[in-house]
Amino acid sequence: MERSASRNAALHPDTLKTVLAFVLAGGKGERLYPLTKDRSKPAVPFGGTYRIIDFTLSNCVNSGLKRICVLTQYKAHSLMRHVKEGWHLFASELGEFIYTIPPQLRVGSTWYLGTADAIYQNVYTLEEERPEHTLILSGDHIYRMDYRDMFAEHLAREADVTIAVLEVPAREASRFGVLELGPNREVIGFREKPQDLDPAGPSVVANMGVYLFRTDVLVQSVCRDARRDDTHHDFGHDVLPGLVRAGARVQAHVFRGAGASPTPFWMDIGTLDAYFDASMDLISVSPQFTLYDRVWPIRSAAIQAPPAKFVFAGGEKGRIGEAHDSLVSPGCIVSGGHVERSILGPGCRINSWSVVEDAILMDGVEVGRHAVVKRAIIDKGVRIPPGFQVGVDPEADRRRFTVTERGLVAIPKGENLEGLA
Amino acid sequence: MRRILIVDDERHLRLLYRRELEDDGYQVVEAANAEEGIRAFEQQRPDLIVMDIRMPGMNGLEAMARILDKDRRVPIVLNTAFDSYRDDFTSWAADAYVTKGPDTEELRRTVRKLLEEREHLGPGEL
Repeated sequence: MERSASRNAALHPDTLKTVLAFVLAGGKGERLYPLTKDRSKPAVPFGGTYRIIDFTLSNCVNSGLKRICVLTQYKAHSLMRHVKEGWHLFASELGEFIYTIPPQLRVGSTWYLGTADAIYQNVYTLEEERPEHTLILSGDHIYRMDYRDMFAEHLAREADVTIAVLEVPAREASRFGVLELGPNREVIGFREKPQDLDPAGPSVVANMGVYLFRTDVLVQSVCRDARRDDTHHDFGHDVLPGLVRAGARVQAHVFRGAGASPTPFWMDIGTLDAYFDASMDLISVSPQFTLYDRVWPIRSAAIQAPPAKFVFAGGEKGRIGEAHDSLVSPGCIVSGGHVERSILGPGCRINSWSVVEDAILMDGVEVGRHAVVKRAIIDKGVRIPPGFQVGVDPEADRRRFTVTERGLVAIPKGENLEGLA
Repeated sequence: MRRILIVDDERHLRLLYRRELEDDGYQVVEAANAEEGIRAFEQQRPDLIVMDIRMPGMNGLEAMARILDKDRRVPIVLNTAFDSYRDDFTSWAADAYVTKGPDTEELRRTVRKLLEEREHLGPGEL
């Protein structure tokens, strides 16, 4: 059916006032288990004081995009609370908002079947807001991006859809949707996770899962997709290849990064090992992704807590409160314990003669005296009893906890270790 | 014989559509409002639905969404006196949009076309 809903915008392409963003935040993050035991992937704490979704939401706000719908799904409580506590900085009288929208059971009776179905089931939101363009984002990704660059290109090329892309080495191509581009960066072909590319071959153009649609084209294509039963109801799999086949103007926008020194760093934290690597990158001297960029700040829920405190300077033998090559969040007390290459979330307490190395501790973790925590991810509120050892005896760890391929130990929120000591 | 469900709150219009569509060789089932239409859909499993939009109680757009949630493939023709719903995104999942006019020619043509298209399609194609 051909129907037109386009209205001409006289606005400068720098302003995203005619754009509405949907942030898909329903990711289960099964390979991040047990961090996703009680929360969805976008709500997983990262970098001490952040949650994964903060990076995408910061990109929106820094780009001046302040009409945002966060579509939640599984175990949404923690995410909804975080958005409420951290992101209520929009002026409704200026037409700005951030809504968290759980699956609207009034239309569909099931969970979202795929990314396109998530939009189809929220078409009434688009009808209420009538944005000219709709930006589809994922709440799972770590990157800095100025969506205004993408929007300007989208308008200049009069695209129906613009897909943000990044170049990746051929050996990583099998993890991505790979695009084939024409001479003007128009998309002419799709390959979902190709397994047969020569790993030493030339780099490929990968789909980042960031899509800017003309809203009428978006609604038409998700409605059409919803009427089919032979699809995954997914943008990358079905909708976008279908649009290319149908002759729509599908353009690629090459991701450049944003901030003081833009780099095209983009990461989907898929596994516990990847989570650990991305965290360890943050504490390196020159990280690939810095939290300290003041041009493109990453914001989160404000923490009401006193400054981090370090006590005991070595009066008693080995009793030194210290942290090196680490991020230490507000409210922490490093009280006579040793912290190295680690991230401490807010309100952790590291007691005397304990050792914390290559570890990620989320909010409120307490490490008892003489305890050892190495190569581990400890979720919120876990108390490591005095003298307890994590990451020292691989056999014992495997019996008690989740241990990754590379030998990282993960201890879930609420785990009681007293009986194991 | 192909079965068509007509959902419309105006009795004389249902009667008119019934006569004309029966003349075209279809079996016709009627419902006088959205809730009744959803029930009739579940019980009668029509091959096509002609759905009015403005009705007392639930409107036809919501009824369409609920029916598509049960069966995403059943063809639905929105048939309304108002042209304004044509731009409403929630109407876009319909297979066709017909504005009620002086005669039923457009509606009959649309019904015939959609049912013919359906016959030529394999599973999953639209």
